[in-house]
Amino acid sequence: MSAEIGLSCEHIERYLGEEEERVHALRGVSLEIETGSVHAVVGPSGCGKSSLLYILGLLDTPDAGRVLIESETVSHLTDDELAQQRSRFIGFIFQFHFLMEDFTAQENVMIPMRKLGQLTDAQMRERAAELLHGVGLGDKLRRPSRHLSGGEQQRVAIARALANDPKVILADEPTGNLDTANSERAFDLLQNLVHERGKALLLATHNPAIAEACDWIHEMKDGRIIESQHQTTRT
Amino acid sequence: MTPPLYIALRFLTHRKRALLLSLSGVVFGVAIFICTQAQTQGFSRYFIESNIGSNGALVVRSRFRPRYEPLMVAAKNSKGTAARRLYFEGITNPNEIMRVSRQFPDVVSCSPVLRGTVSARSGFENATVELYGIDPALHAQTTDILHQLIDGNFDDFRNNTSSIIIGSRLAELLQAGVGDTVQLLAPNGEYWRFNVAAIARAGIGSIDSTRIYSHAKIAQALLQQPSGASMIIYKLRDRNRAPVLASRFESLFQHNALSWQEREESTLQLFLTLSMSVAITVSLIILLAGFGIFNVLTMSVLAKIKEIAILRSMGYRRRDISAIFLWQGALIAAAGSVIGCLLGALMTWGVSHIPIHLRGLLYTNYFLVTWDWHHYLFATFLALVAVFIASYVPARRAAQLPPVVTIRGSR
Repeated sequence: MSAEIGLSCEHIERYLGEEEERVHALRGVSLEIETGSVHAVVGPSGCGKSSLLYILGLLDTPDAGRVLIESETVSHLTDDELAQQRSRFIGFIFQFHFLMEDFTAQENVMIPMRKLGQLTDAQMRERAAELLHGVGLGDKLRRPSRHLSGGEQQRVAIARALANDPKVILADEPTGNLDTANSERAFDLLQNLVHERGKALLLATHNPAIAEACDWIHEMKDGRIIESQHQTTRT
Repeated sequence: MTPPLYIALRFLTHRKRALLLSLSGVVFGVAIFICTQAQTQGFSRYFIESNIGSNGALVVRSRFRPRYEPLMVAAKNSKGTAARRLYFEGITNPNEIMRVSRQFPDVVSCSPVLRGTVSARSGFENATVELYGIDPALHAQTTDILHQLIDGNFDDFRNNTSSIIIGSRLAELLQAGVGDTVQLLAPNGEYWRFNVAAIARAGIGSIDSTRIYSHAKIAQALLQQPSGASMIIYKLRDRNRAPVLASRFESLFQHNALSWQEREESTLQLFLTLSMSVAITVSLIILLAGFGIFNVLTMSVLAKIKEIAILRSMGYRRRDISAIFLWQGALIAAAGSVIGCLLGALMTWGVSHIPIHLRGLLYTNYFLVTWDWHHYLFATFLALVAVFIASYVPARRAAQLPPVVTIRGSR
């Protein structure tokens, strides 16, 4: 495994809600995600998996602790700078795929590239087509996203997460809304991308089979990581 | 094309019903504004043009001198100046005043007029008329009388001192046409006979129903006036300079000078009030259109809440999200203004062809409109402001939406 740390966090504390409804969602969580590795966060609902993902993905800010991208702390950055970091370093995949309804599969994949602004329109189209070919949707480039099946939409979401060639992919129950066949297909796709292209993948999942296939499993309970296991130490 | 503009275009075009609703509000607001302004200002400008064309942009009349009453105490807050003047009927030395005033660069030409009220008779019809004794050549240079003639010939009037030009409505009243005889009653009780050389239509009821033009010398003899002129009327290069010039002439000539704005103040105020009232009403229509856009965009923000969260997760900044909704407003405003201006012009053209038989204050057979690019500019400006305000709140709200709350809420 490569020793390069793509994304990490230290002593993250996060409270959610107000006054009586205030919940201590994350309690001193620290985590390191190396490039070329797949990490799974498991645990019961409400244990803090998603909260951790959103903080690592710079979508939410911790009440204490810090997040580091390639060993550089990003906790002090402004909202615009955080957006820039998300654009360059992080690809998100959500459980409900969240595609833009008014756009085709190809246009959905191009949207992050448009924001980054490093490619011409033709280059963006070509890259989006390549990525969609990669996830087996080469024949559905121009299909409106709302006319795709759930499994196809999730594959478009995977292609979109890779659009800007991010170092880190964060997936919040990416297979939670798919049947077994599509779940396996989506996960295999992600795993191959991580290993072939040297990405770091952190996914929150309830699926034990998927968790078992990951390099690392971090078990969370009540806002804490109570156990982290590497594949080699598991029997 | 920037990413926010690209996304805004797509959001707009994929919600056709909402787009149509927003667009139609702006289009009709702009078009109605242009059309109503064209109408109200059409009547107003016609009145001004006709009035200046008949009575000049500036008039110098009665001579005055200060009232030498050193012991007189003016009432508190009284303006005083007018009360401290003594007025004398007529112009003392019209030729000298005209000679000096022609030196002013603003003055194009001027013409002396001797005015008096007499009784006119033709056949069995009688009327009280305003007799204008004029110098035909100077009057033709200073006023639009040549363009106002609807029958007869100005040269016939110029070449025959016992001829007159009569107003069109007066001609109808006296049942007199070109070549007929009209008698004017002199103060000494004698009737003077005149031949009608031409009929003029100024387009203003009060002029057309009372005015008769005759040669100045004849009018002077008929009216038995010692003064050669009771007023001098002026044609100016810039009619808006009339108040300044009037003030200057008053102090220079010691004669009362009146600009057209002062002279027609009450009528102009009526037109202004009407125009403002219509402008306010139509502005409210545009504001209502803005309110419609506000609703559409607010609904759009609510409908696109997931998309906003996704865009934020992909690195779009708050201001990019805000720009997406502001662009939508701007695109609606731009398209709505262009279409609205075209429709406004079409409606104005249509209105100008509506027959209307107006014979009161003004004379017209069709609705009077004015073609003024300021109306189009102002309507567009108003639409842009209304739409910007209507878009700003939803855009701001969209930018402030915390993406993580949406994503959590969708689980």
